[in-house]
Amino acid sequence: MTTRNKEPLPMGVGRVTTGWLVFVALALVGVVIGIVGFVVEHNQGMVATGMRDLGTGQGATWGMYISLVVYFVGVSFAGITVAALIRLFNIEKLRGVARMAELLSVVALILGALAIIVDLGQPLRGLVNLFRYARPQSPFFGTFTLVISGYLFASATYLYLTARRDAATLAERDSGLRGFFRFWAAGYEDTADQRDRDRRTSFWLALAILPLLIVAHSSLGFVFGLQVGRPGWFGTLQAPAFVVLAAVSGVGNLIILAAIIRKAVKAQDRIRIGAFSWLGNFLMLALFAYLYFVVVEILTLLYQPSVAEQEISEALLSGEYAWMFWGSVAALVVPLGMLVWMAITRSWKIGWLVTAGVLVNLGAIGKRYLIVVPSQTHGQLLPYEIGSYSPTWVEYAVVLGLFSLGALMIALFMKVFPIIELEEKQPAEHEEVTA
Amino acid sequence: MTRRGIVTTVMIVIGVGLMVFAYFFGAAPWCANGVECSNPRIEWSPLIFVIGVITAFSAAIYYEVAKDKKE
Repeated sequence: MTTRNKEPLPMGVGRVTTGWLVFVALALVGVVIGIVGFVVEHNQGMVATGMRDLGTGQGATWGMYISLVVYFVGVSFAGITVAALIRLFNIEKLRGVARMAELLSVVALILGALAIIVDLGQPLRGLVNLFRYARPQSPFFGTFTLVISGYLFASATYLYLTARRDAATLAERDSGLRGFFRFWAAGYEDTADQRDRDRRTSFWLALAILPLLIVAHSSLGFVFGLQVGRPGWFGTLQAPAFVVLAAVSGVGNLIILAAIIRKAVKAQDRIRIGAFSWLGNFLMLALFAYLYFVVVEILTLLYQPSVAEQEISEALLSGEYAWMFWGSVAALVVPLGMLVWMAITRSWKIGWLVTAGVLVNLGAIGKRYLIVVPSQTHGQLLPYEIGSYSPTWVEYAVVLGLFSLGALMIALFMKVFPIIELEEKQPAEHEEVTA
Repeated sequence: MTRRGIVTTVMIVIGVGLMVFAYFFGAAPWCANGVECSNPRIEWSPLIFVIGVITAFSAAIYYEVAKDKKE
């Protein structure tokens, strides 16, 4: 620990470039716009948004914010799943994307929590009462206890622990961030014993996180799937479809992030095409599964629907929401075709994979919106008029702010910690400790 | 078992215990009467559940960070 090395920190840590500054400035502008939108919403009340009461108000009480809660929590799924699979099955080719996958999970969960907060008319009151009165009979109990609290904490713990070795390595170098690295390393000594302990902890944490993750995502699906009085939502497919679409959007995001970071930190040797082909195959399988759910859902909806369900299916397939529905389906089918082609010809192209990642995320956002909104505007069992929902500039501003905040968090992380795991060196033999 | 192992196990047991208590007894999911069971039997039960989750996962941090006495 006494050797001081003056060479620069790896992966561009601690070095600010013009491109990074421009990116951060743009993200900051987006965050400020989001804050302005939220302040307007908070001061004027929810009337500043496009959300209105169901039925009598002919509107939707859940709009873009809740669609994005589901989307962000979905994105977090793949991050931690991929990270856990890497540790559980020791998939070496994915080692380069492990940390960014963990970071993606944490960032997406923070954004998901913020999206819930901005959806609450009185955020503080809502947060206090959830912790005070939430009932386990409600799927919301699982949503905020398991998803937002437990899952976020577990992911952050995972990120922290798996990065300690790198923190200890960087703490040996003379840099302005040395104190931060030492704090993160928390006395880490790179001995064989410590590495064994790391592997054990990572394995058990991964094993604990995976079921938590499935339960958490299913409980989010149950928020919709258990609402017997809301045609279009009630159904057994909601929970598994939520999990699968989460995998789609999350893996898509991870591919985009990995490609950007690979180029930004010039890590072609650390994130090889093999990692992208693995992610591409994973995305392809998830897309097949999800499109199967979509087909089953449409057939069930069309076979012998009730009046309310018929109205929803008409609105989705040929009415007000048809452009978004078919657009979303196309945004999932086209990338699937691209992925199948690349898998058959065994010629994985990063550019095509990134295009597929962008498309599936657009499709996922569209599908999340279509899960949330049409059943409120068109799914009335009582004889109310059909409603409508149009987001206002306030909601668009807040959404821009959320995405910008996510980009900002990742950009800042990249400058204080290596976004890709450092390559392992031989552990020190002299500091064996008793386990 | 080392002190590290004992403390880690105790933290996991306490965490899971808090979750079980908060979910099955504090918040009472199987209460039959709708109005009486509207709120948890014990206020802040959901918070206790969350603390249980955090305690259980904190065991991993303790297990990794805690120092063993050198021989």
